[in-house]
Amino acid sequence: MSVLILILAVVIIIALLAIISRNNLVKSNIGVDESWSQIEVQLKRRSDLIPNLVETVKGYASHESSTLEAIVAARAKSTSATTVQETAVADGQLTQALRGLLAVTENYPDLKASTNFLALQEELSTTENKVSFARQLYNDRVRVLNTAIKTFPSSLFVSSAKVSVRPFYEVDDPQDRKAPQVKF
Amino acid sequence: MDFRKLQSANKIKSTELLFGMAILIGLVVWALLTYFGNSGIGVVPIAIGIALLSVWGSYWASDTIVLTMTGARLISESDNKQLYDLVTEVCIAASLPVPKIAIVEDDAPNAFATGRNQDHAVIAFTTGILRVMDREELQGVAAHELAHVANRDTLVSAIAATTAGALALLSDFMMRIMIFGGGGRRNDESNDQSPVALIASLIILILAPLAALLLRLAISRKREALADATAVAFTRNPTGLRRALEVLARDSTVVHQRSNAIAHVWIESPLDGSKTSQLFSTHPPLAERIATLRAMEGSAGI
Repeated sequence: MSVLILILAVVIIIALLAIISRNNLVKSNIGVDESWSQIEVQLKRRSDLIPNLVETVKGYASHESSTLEAIVAARAKSTSATTVQETAVADGQLTQALRGLLAVTENYPDLKASTNFLALQEELSTTENKVSFARQLYNDRVRVLNTAIKTFPSSLFVSSAKVSVRPFYEVDDPQDRKAPQVKF
Repeated sequence: MDFRKLQSANKIKSTELLFGMAILIGLVVWALLTYFGNSGIGVVPIAIGIALLSVWGSYWASDTIVLTMTGARLISESDNKQLYDLVTEVCIAASLPVPKIAIVEDDAPNAFATGRNQDHAVIAFTTGILRVMDREELQGVAAHELAHVANRDTLVSAIAATTAGALALLSDFMMRIMIFGGGGRRNDESNDQSPVALIASLIILILAPLAALLLRLAISRKREALADATAVAFTRNPTGLRRALEVLARDSTVVHQRSNAIAHVWIESPLDGSKTSQLFSTHPPLAERIATLRAMEGSAGI
Protein backbone atom coordinates (compact mmCIF):
# COMPACT_ATOMS: atom_id res chain seq x y z
CA MET A 1 0.00 0.00 0.00
CA SER A 2 2.67 2.49 1.06
CA VAL A 3 4.76 1.52 -1.98
CA LEU A 4 1.78 2.33 -4.17
CA ILE A 5 1.40 5.77 -2.56
CA LEU A 6 5.12 6.40 -3.03
CA ILE A 7 4.94 5.52 -6.73
CA LEU A 8 1.86 7.68 -7.13
CA ALA A 9 3.62 10.62 -5.44
CA VAL A 10 6.66 10.27 -7.69
CA VAL A 11 4.44 10.12 -10.79
CA ILE A 12 2.53 13.24 -9.70
CA ILE A 13 5.74 15.16 -9.02
CA ILE A 14 7.19 14.22 -12.41
CA ALA A 15 3.93 15.18 -14.14
CA LEU A 16 3.90 18.55 -12.35
CA LEU A 17 7.54 19.23 -13.33
CA ALA A 18 6.71 18.35 -16.93
CA ILE A 19 3.70 20.71 -16.98
CA ILE A 20 5.71 23.53 -15.41
CA SER A 21 8.65 23.25 -17.81
CA ARG A 22 6.39 22.96 -20.85
CA ASN A 23 4.37 26.01 -19.71
CA ASN A 24 7.61 27.91 -19.17
CA LEU A 25 8.60 27.26 -22.77
CA VAL A 26 5.23 28.44 -24.07
CA LYS A 27 5.28 31.53 -21.83
CA SER A 28 8.85 32.46 -22.85
CA ASN A 29 7.84 32.12 -26.47
CA ILE A 30 4.86 34.45 -25.95
CA GLY A 31 7.22 36.85 -24.16
CA VAL A 32 9.51 36.92 -27.19
CA ASP A 33 6.55 37.54 -29.52
CA GLU A 34 5.29 40.38 -27.30
CA SER A 35 8.63 42.13 -27.18
CA TRP A 36 9.05 41.67 -30.94
CA SER A 37 5.77 43.47 -31.56
CA GLN A 38 6.98 46.23 -29.20
CA ILE A 39 10.05 46.66 -31.44
CA GLU A 40 7.78 46.86 -34.49
CA VAL A 41 5.53 49.46 -32.82
CA GLN A 42 8.53 51.66 -31.99
CA LEU A 43 10.14 51.26 -35.42
CA LYS A 44 6.81 52.24 -36.99
CA ARG A 45 6.63 55.31 -34.77
CA ARG A 46 10.11 56.35 -35.81
CA SER A 47 9.31 55.71 -39.45
CA ASP A 48 6.21 57.94 -39.17
CA LEU A 49 8.31 60.79 -37.77
CA ILE A 50 10.65 60.89 -40.73
CA PRO A 51 8.50 62.68 -43.40
CA ASN A 52 7.87 65.51 -40.94
CA LEU A 53 11.56 65.66 -40.00
CA VAL A 54 12.65 65.73 -43.65
CA GLU A 55 10.19 68.53 -44.44
CA THR A 56 11.36 70.61 -41.47
CA VAL A 57 15.05 70.20 -42.28
CA LYS A 58 14.48 70.90 -45.99
CA GLY A 59 13.02 74.31 -45.16
CA TYR A 60 16.28 75.41 -43.51
CA ALA A 61 18.96 73.26 -45.12
CA SER A 62 17.89 72.50 -48.67
CA HIS A 63 21.40 71.70 -49.93
CA GLU A 64 21.78 68.76 -47.54
CA SER A 65 19.77 66.71 -50.01
CA SER A 66 22.19 63.73 -50.00
CA THR A 67 21.78 63.27 -46.23
CA LEU A 68 18.02 63.54 -46.58
CA GLU A 69 17.96 61.05 -49.43
CA ALA A 70 19.95 58.58 -47.34
CA ILE A 71 17.29 58.82 -44.65
CA VAL A 72 14.41 58.34 -47.06
CA ALA A 73 16.18 55.33 -48.61
CA ALA A 74 16.89 53.78 -45.19
CA ARG A 75 13.28 54.32 -44.18
CA ALA A 76 12.02 52.60 -47.33
CA LYS A 77 14.28 49.63 -46.65
CA SER A 78 13.14 49.36 -43.02
CA THR A 79 9.45 49.30 -43.95
CA SER A 80 9.97 46.45 -46.41
CA ALA A 81 12.06 44.31 -44.01
CA THR A 82 10.37 41.11 -42.85
CA THR A 83 12.83 38.88 -40.97
CA VAL A 84 14.54 39.75 -37.69
CA GLN A 85 17.94 40.11 -39.38
CA GLU A 86 16.63 42.33 -42.18
CA THR A 87 14.78 44.53 -39.72
CA ALA A 88 17.86 44.81 -37.50
CA VAL A 89 20.11 45.78 -40.40
CA ALA A 90 17.63 48.36 -41.74
CA ASP A 91 17.11 49.71 -38.20
CA GLY A 92 20.88 50.14 -37.78
CA GLN A 93 21.19 51.97 -41.12
CA LEU A 94 18.31 54.29 -40.32
CA THR A 95 19.82 55.06 -36.92
CA GLN A 96 23.13 55.90 -38.64
CA ALA A 97 21.42 58.09 -41.24
CA LEU A 98 19.46 59.97 -38.57
CA ARG A 99 22.60 60.51 -36.56
CA GLY A 100 24.29 61.88 -39.68
CA LEU A 101 21.42 64.30 -40.28
CA LEU A 102 21.41 65.54 -36.71
CA ALA A 103 25.16 66.10 -36.86
CA VAL A 104 24.64 68.20 -39.99
CA THR A 105 21.91 70.30 -38.34
CA GLU A 106 24.59 71.68 -35.97
CA ASN A 107 25.56 74.00 -38.85
CA TYR A 108 22.08 75.57 -39.06
CA PRO A 109 21.36 77.69 -35.98
CA ASP A 110 17.99 78.82 -37.39
CA LEU A 111 16.88 75.23 -37.74
CA LYS A 112 18.12 74.31 -34.27
CA ALA A 113 16.19 77.22 -32.80
CA SER A 114 12.89 76.43 -34.48
CA THR A 115 10.26 75.12 -32.09
CA ASN A 116 9.10 72.53 -34.58
CA PHE A 117 12.60 71.09 -34.76
CA LEU A 118 13.06 71.11 -30.98
CA ALA A 119 9.84 69.14 -30.56
CA LEU A 120 10.95 66.72 -33.27
CA GLN A 121 14.31 66.31 -31.60
CA GLU A 122 12.74 65.20 -28.29
CA GLU A 123 10.35 62.95 -30.19
CA LEU A 124 13.24 61.38 -32.11
CA SER A 125 15.46 60.84 -29.10
CA THR A 126 12.64 59.27 -27.08
CA THR A 127 11.71 57.01 -29.99
CA GLU A 128 15.34 56.04 -30.48
CA ASN A 129 15.59 55.16 -26.76
CA LYS A 130 12.33 53.22 -26.95
CA VAL A 131 13.63 51.25 -29.93
CA SER A 132 16.81 50.34 -28.09
CA PHE A 133 14.98 49.40 -24.85
CA ALA A 134 12.51 47.28 -26.84
CA ARG A 135 15.49 45.63 -28.50
CA GLN A 136 17.14 45.00 -25.13
CA LEU A 137 13.94 43.40 -23.74
CA TYR A 138 13.57 41.27 -26.86
CA ASN A 139 17.17 40.03 -26.65
CA ASP A 140 16.82 39.27 -22.92
CA ARG A 141 13.70 37.23 -23.60
CA VAL A 142 15.27 35.43 -26.56
CA ARG A 143 18.15 34.51 -24.26
CA VAL A 144 15.71 33.08 -21.68
CA LEU A 145 13.80 31.11 -24.34
CA ASN A 146 16.90 29.78 -26.08
CA THR A 147 18.41 28.72 -22.75
CA ALA A 148 15.20 26.88 -21.83
CA ILE A 149 15.14 25.16 -25.22
CA LYS A 150 18.68 23.89 -24.79
CA THR A 151 18.58 22.85 -21.12
CA PHE A 152 17.07 19.87 -19.34
CA PRO A 153 14.22 19.21 -18.53
CA SER A 154 12.47 21.83 -20.69
CA SER A 155 14.50 20.64 -23.71
CA LEU A 156 12.29 17.50 -23.71
CA PHE A 157 9.15 19.52 -24.52
CA VAL A 158 10.47 21.66 -27.38
CA SER A 159 8.48 19.86 -30.06
CA SER A 160 5.29 19.48 -28.02
CA ALA A 161 5.30 23.18 -27.11
CA LYS A 162 5.98 24.06 -30.76
CA VAL A 163 8.81 26.48 -29.96
CA SER A 164 12.15 26.93 -31.67
CA VAL A 165 15.39 28.82 -31.10
CA ARG A 166 14.83 32.49 -31.99
CA PRO A 167 17.40 34.84 -33.53
CA PHE A 168 18.87 37.73 -31.54
CA TYR A 169 18.21 41.26 -32.75
CA GLU A 170 21.72 42.31 -33.66
CA VAL A 171 22.47 45.81 -34.78
CA ASP A 172 25.74 46.34 -36.65
CA ASP A 173 26.65 49.47 -34.78
CA PRO A 174 28.60 48.32 -31.69
CA GLN A 175 28.39 51.79 -30.15
CA ASP A 176 24.63 51.52 -30.34
CA ARG A 177 24.47 48.28 -28.43
CA LYS A 178 26.75 49.55 -25.68
CA ALA A 179 24.85 52.74 -24.90
CA PRO A 180 21.06 52.81 -25.14
CA GLN A 181 21.15 56.53 -24.33
CA VAL A 182 21.11 58.39 -27.61
CA LYS A 183 21.84 62.08 -27.51
CA PHE A 184 20.86 64.05 -30.55
CA MET B 1 30.13 44.04 -10.41
CA ASP B 2 27.21 42.31 -12.10
CA PHE B 3 23.73 43.78 -11.59
CA ARG B 4 22.12 40.32 -11.86
CA LYS B 5 24.20 39.05 -8.91
CA LEU B 6 23.43 42.18 -6.91
CA GLN B 7 19.71 41.74 -7.63
CA SER B 8 19.58 38.16 -6.40
CA ALA B 9 21.86 38.87 -3.41
CA ASN B 10 19.61 41.70 -2.21
CA LYS B 11 16.46 39.68 -2.84
CA ILE B 12 17.83 36.80 -0.75
CA LYS B 13 18.94 39.13 2.05
CA SER B 14 15.59 40.89 2.30
CA THR B 15 13.76 37.54 2.30
CA GLU B 16 16.02 36.32 5.10
CA LEU B 17 15.20 39.45 7.08
CA LEU B 18 11.47 38.80 6.59
CA PHE B 19 12.05 35.29 7.95
CA GLY B 20 13.85 36.94 10.85
CA MET B 21 10.64 38.82 11.57
CA ALA B 22 8.64 35.57 11.51
CA ILE B 23 11.10 34.06 14.00
CA LEU B 24 10.72 37.15 16.18
CA ILE B 25 6.94 36.66 16.24
CA GLY B 26 7.50 33.04 17.25
CA LEU B 27 9.79 34.14 20.09
CA VAL B 28 7.27 36.69 21.35
CA VAL B 29 4.44 34.15 21.33
CA TRP B 30 6.68 31.75 23.25
CA ALA B 31 7.51 34.51 25.74
CA LEU B 32 3.81 35.27 26.18
CA LEU B 33 2.98 31.64 26.83
CA THR B 34 5.85 31.32 29.27
CA TYR B 35 5.10 34.47 31.18
CA PHE B 36 1.32 34.57 31.19
CA GLY B 37 0.34 31.00 30.45
CA ASN B 38 -2.45 30.18 28.06
CA SER B 39 -4.55 33.14 29.17
CA GLY B 40 -2.09 35.53 27.53
CA ILE B 41 -2.47 34.10 24.05
CA GLY B 42 -5.78 35.89 23.42
CA VAL B 43 -4.06 39.23 22.82
CA VAL B 44 -2.06 37.87 19.85
CA PRO B 45 -4.96 37.90 17.35
CA ILE B 46 -6.07 41.29 18.69
CA ALA B 47 -2.63 42.85 18.14
CA ILE B 48 -2.24 41.28 14.70
CA GLY B 49 -5.78 42.35 13.80
CA ILE B 50 -5.17 45.98 14.77
CA ALA B 51 -1.84 46.05 12.94
CA LEU B 52 -3.40 44.48 9.84
CA LEU B 53 -6.28 46.96 9.81
CA SER B 54 -4.06 50.00 10.22
CA VAL B 55 -1.37 48.98 7.72
CA TRP B 56 -3.38 47.23 5.02
CA GLY B 57 -5.88 50.03 4.60
CA SER B 58 -3.01 52.36 3.80
CA TYR B 59 -1.36 49.71 1.62
CA TRP B 60 -4.53 49.27 -0.43
CA ALA B 61 -5.04 52.99 -0.93
CA SER B 62 -1.32 53.87 -0.89
CA ASP B 63 -1.46 55.70 -4.21
CA THR B 64 -4.21 58.12 -3.15
CA ILE B 65 -2.98 58.50 0.45
CA VAL B 66 0.62 59.35 -0.41
CA LEU B 67 -0.52 61.72 -3.17
CA THR B 68 -2.72 63.58 -0.68
CA MET B 69 -0.06 63.62 2.06
CA THR B 70 2.61 65.06 -0.22
CA GLY B 71 0.25 67.31 -2.19
CA ALA B 72 1.42 65.72 -5.44
CA ARG B 73 -0.31 66.74 -8.65
CA LEU B 74 -0.86 64.19 -11.41
CA ILE B 75 0.41 65.26 -14.82
CA SER B 76 -0.31 64.13 -18.36
CA GLU B 77 1.95 63.81 -21.40
CA SER B 78 1.36 67.38 -22.56
CA ASP B 79 2.33 68.89 -19.15
CA ASN B 80 5.89 67.62 -19.29
CA LYS B 81 6.64 65.77 -22.50
CA GLN B 82 10.24 64.95 -21.66
CA LEU B 83 9.44 63.50 -18.22
CA TYR B 84 6.57 61.46 -19.64
CA ASP B 85 8.82 60.20 -22.47
CA LEU B 86 11.71 59.13 -20.26
CA VAL B 87 9.38 57.27 -17.88
CA THR B 88 7.69 55.52 -20.83
CA GLU B 89 11.11 54.48 -22.15
CA VAL B 90 11.98 52.71 -18.89
CA CYS B 91 8.53 51.09 -18.86
CA ILE B 92 9.33 49.51 -22.21
CA ALA B 93 12.64 48.18 -20.88
CA ALA B 94 10.92 46.87 -17.72
CA SER B 95 7.81 45.70 -19.58
CA LEU B 96 5.61 47.54 -17.08
CA PRO B 97 2.44 49.54 -17.78
CA VAL B 98 3.09 53.30 -17.73
CA PRO B 99 2.32 54.47 -14.16
CA LYS B 100 0.58 57.65 -13.11
CA ILE B 101 3.17 60.42 -12.99
CA ALA B 102 2.96 63.19 -10.39
CA ILE B 103 4.83 66.36 -9.46
CA VAL B 104 5.36 67.57 -5.87
CA GLU B 105 5.94 71.29 -5.37
CA ASP B 106 9.16 71.15 -3.35
CA ASP B 107 12.58 72.71 -3.84
CA ALA B 108 14.43 69.67 -2.53
CA PRO B 109 15.37 67.18 -5.26
CA ASN B 110 13.65 63.89 -4.52
CA ALA B 111 11.27 61.30 -6.00
CA PHE B 112 9.12 58.39 -4.86
CA ALA B 113 7.01 55.49 -6.06
CA THR B 114 3.96 53.95 -4.42
CA GLY B 115 0.82 51.98 -5.22
CA ARG B 116 -0.29 48.47 -4.29
CA ASN B 117 0.59 46.91 -7.67
CA GLN B 118 1.88 47.84 -11.10
CA ASP B 119 -1.61 48.81 -12.30
CA HIS B 120 -2.05 51.28 -9.43
CA ALA B 121 1.49 52.61 -9.41
CA VAL B 122 2.31 56.29 -9.03
CA ILE B 123 5.75 57.78 -9.40
CA ALA B 124 6.33 61.34 -8.28
CA PHE B 125 9.12 63.85 -8.77
CA THR B 126 9.67 67.10 -6.89
CA THR B 127 9.92 70.33 -8.87
CA GLY B 128 13.45 70.56 -7.41
CA ILE B 129 14.64 67.31 -8.97
CA LEU B 130 13.24 68.31 -12.37
CA ARG B 131 15.21 71.56 -12.17
CA VAL B 132 18.62 70.18 -11.14
CA MET B 133 18.83 66.96 -13.16
CA ASP B 134 19.37 66.35 -16.86
CA ARG B 135 17.51 63.78 -18.94
CA GLU B 136 19.92 60.90 -18.29
CA GLU B 137 19.96 61.49 -14.52
CA LEU B 138 16.17 61.74 -14.37
CA GLN B 139 15.95 58.50 -16.29
CA GLY B 140 18.14 56.82 -13.67
CA VAL B 141 15.78 58.10 -10.97
CA ALA B 142 12.72 56.97 -12.92
CA ALA B 143 14.30 53.52 -13.34
CA HIS B 144 14.94 53.31 -9.57
CA GLU B 145 11.31 54.21 -8.84
CA LEU B 146 9.96 51.79 -11.45
CA ALA B 147 12.23 49.13 -9.93
CA HIS B 148 10.30 49.59 -6.66
CA VAL B 149 7.09 49.05 -8.62
CA ALA B 150 8.45 45.95 -10.38
CA ASN B 151 9.83 44.51 -7.11
CA ARG B 152 6.51 45.17 -5.33
CA ASP B 153 8.20 47.11 -2.55
CA THR B 154 4.97 48.69 -1.34
CA LEU B 155 3.85 45.14 -0.47
CA VAL B 156 7.18 44.24 1.16
CA SER B 157 7.16 47.34 3.33
CA ALA B 158 3.49 46.75 4.23
CA ILE B 159 4.36 43.24 5.44
CA ALA B 160 7.32 44.56 7.42
CA ALA B 161 5.20 47.37 8.89
CA THR B 162 2.42 44.98 9.90
CA THR B 163 4.82 42.66 11.70
CA ALA B 164 6.66 45.48 13.42
CA GLY B 165 3.33 47.10 14.38
CA ALA B 166 1.88 43.88 15.78
CA LEU B 167 5.01 43.26 17.84
CA ALA B 168 4.99 46.80 19.21
CA LEU B 169 1.32 46.42 20.21
CA LEU B 170 1.90 43.02 21.83
CA SER B 171 4.81 44.28 23.82
CA ASP B 172 2.81 47.33 24.87
CA PHE B 173 -0.16 45.20 26.03
CA MET B 174 2.14 42.96 28.04
CA MET B 175 3.90 45.82 29.74
CA ARG B 176 0.57 47.28 30.79
CA ILE B 177 -0.65 43.95 32.14
CA MET B 178 2.60 43.48 34.05
CA ILE B 179 2.52 46.95 35.54
CA PHE B 180 -1.19 47.35 36.21
CA GLY B 181 -2.29 43.72 36.34
CA GLY B 182 -0.82 42.91 39.77
CA GLY B 183 2.50 41.40 38.82
CA GLY B 184 1.60 39.35 35.83
CA ARG B 185 1.49 35.60 36.18
CA ARG B 186 -1.39 34.39 38.29
CA ASN B 187 -0.49 31.86 40.94
CA ASP B 188 -3.24 29.46 39.98
CA GLU B 189 -1.59 28.79 36.60
CA SER B 190 -0.55 25.18 36.60
CA ASN B 191 2.49 25.39 34.30
CA ASP B 192 5.44 26.25 36.44
CA GLN B 193 8.34 27.77 34.56
CA SER B 194 11.95 28.07 35.57
CA PRO B 195 13.11 31.58 36.55
CA VAL B 196 15.55 31.55 33.64
CA ALA B 197 12.71 31.07 31.14
CA LEU B 198 10.70 33.80 32.85
CA ILE B 199 13.56 36.29 32.70
CA ALA B 200 14.32 35.35 29.08
CA SER B 201 10.70 35.88 28.07
CA LEU B 202 10.60 39.22 29.87
CA ILE B 203 13.72 40.34 27.99
CA ILE B 204 12.20 39.17 24.70
CA LEU B 205 9.00 41.12 25.36
CA ILE B 206 10.96 44.27 26.19
CA LEU B 207 13.37 44.07 23.23
CA ALA B 208 11.00 42.75 20.54
CA PRO B 209 9.68 46.14 19.34
CA LEU B 210 13.21 47.51 18.96
CA ALA B 211 14.37 44.36 17.15
CA ALA B 212 11.33 44.56 14.86
CA LEU B 213 12.06 48.20 14.07
CA LEU B 214 15.70 47.42 13.25
CA LEU B 215 14.65 44.49 11.04
CA ARG B 216 12.11 46.68 9.27
CA LEU B 217 14.74 49.33 8.54
CA ALA B 218 17.26 46.72 7.41
CA ILE B 219 14.64 45.34 4.99
CA SER B 220 14.03 48.87 3.67
CA ARG B 221 17.77 49.36 3.07
CA LYS B 222 18.10 46.04 1.24
CA ARG B 223 15.11 46.87 -0.96
CA GLU B 224 16.71 50.23 -1.82
CA ALA B 225 19.94 48.49 -2.85
CA LEU B 226 17.83 46.02 -4.83
CA ALA B 227 16.01 48.88 -6.57
CA ASP B 228 19.37 50.39 -7.61
CA ALA B 229 20.47 47.06 -9.12
CA THR B 230 17.10 46.53 -10.82
CA ALA B 231 17.24 50.08 -12.23
CA VAL B 232 20.54 49.17 -13.91
CA ALA B 233 18.93 45.99 -15.25
CA PHE B 234 16.29 48.21 -16.88
CA THR B 235 18.47 50.94 -18.38
CA ARG B 236 21.87 49.15 -18.56
CA ASN B 237 23.19 52.57 -17.70
CA PRO B 238 24.59 52.77 -14.14
CA THR B 239 26.11 56.17 -14.96
CA GLY B 240 22.75 57.97 -15.10
CA LEU B 241 21.62 56.83 -11.65
CA ARG B 242 25.12 57.27 -10.20
CA ARG B 243 25.27 60.88 -11.41
CA ALA B 244 21.74 61.46 -10.10
CA LEU B 245 22.75 60.21 -6.63
CA GLU B 246 25.82 62.45 -6.75
CA VAL B 247 23.55 65.41 -7.42
CA LEU B 248 21.47 64.37 -4.39
CA ALA B 249 24.63 63.99 -2.29
CA ARG B 250 25.79 67.51 -3.18
CA ASP B 251 22.38 69.01 -2.51
CA SER B 252 21.70 70.28 0.97
CA THR B 253 18.04 71.21 0.65
CA VAL B 254 15.87 68.92 2.73
CA VAL B 255 12.37 67.94 1.70
CA HIS B 256 9.88 70.04 3.62
CA GLN B 257 7.79 67.03 4.36
CA ARG B 258 9.92 65.45 7.01
CA SER B 259 7.15 63.11 8.09
CA ASN B 260 8.51 59.84 9.43
CA ALA B 261 5.41 58.07 8.17
CA ILE B 262 6.40 58.28 4.52
CA ALA B 263 10.19 58.70 4.82
CA HIS B 264 10.79 55.28 3.26
CA VAL B 265 9.06 56.08 -0.02
CA TRP B 266 11.55 58.71 -1.23
CA ILE B 267 14.62 57.89 -3.32
CA GLU B 268 16.82 59.69 -0.79
CA SER B 269 15.93 59.76 2.88
CA PRO B 270 14.20 63.11 3.51
CA LEU B 271 15.21 62.95 7.19
CA ASP B 272 18.57 64.36 8.14
CA GLY B 273 20.89 61.39 7.78
CA SER B 274 23.84 62.74 9.72
CA LYS B 275 22.05 62.79 13.06
CA THR B 276 20.75 59.25 13.02
CA SER B 277 23.02 56.26 12.99
CA GLN B 278 23.08 54.11 9.88
CA LEU B 279 21.25 51.37 11.79
CA PHE B 280 18.17 53.58 12.07
CA SER B 281 18.13 54.72 8.46
CA THR B 282 15.59 53.68 5.81
CA HIS B 283 18.20 54.01 3.03
CA PRO B 284 21.81 52.85 2.62
CA PRO B 285 24.27 55.78 2.71
CA LEU B 286 24.45 57.64 -0.62
CA ALA B 287 28.24 57.18 -0.77
CA GLU B 288 27.81 53.41 -0.60
CA ARG B 289 25.14 53.40 -3.32
CA ILE B 290 27.30 55.59 -5.56
CA ALA B 291 30.32 53.29 -5.07
CA THR B 292 28.23 50.21 -5.97
CA LEU B 293 26.92 51.86 -9.14
CA ARG B 294 30.42 52.99 -10.08
CA ALA B 295 31.61 49.39 -9.76
CA MET B 296 28.87 48.34 -12.17
CA GLU B 297 29.98 50.82 -14.84
CA GLY B 298 31.78 49.12 -17.70
CA SER B 299 31.19 45.64 -16.28
CA ALA B 300 29.87 42.59 -18.11
CA GLY B 301 26.28 42.58 -19.26
CA ILE B 302 25.93 46.36 -19.47
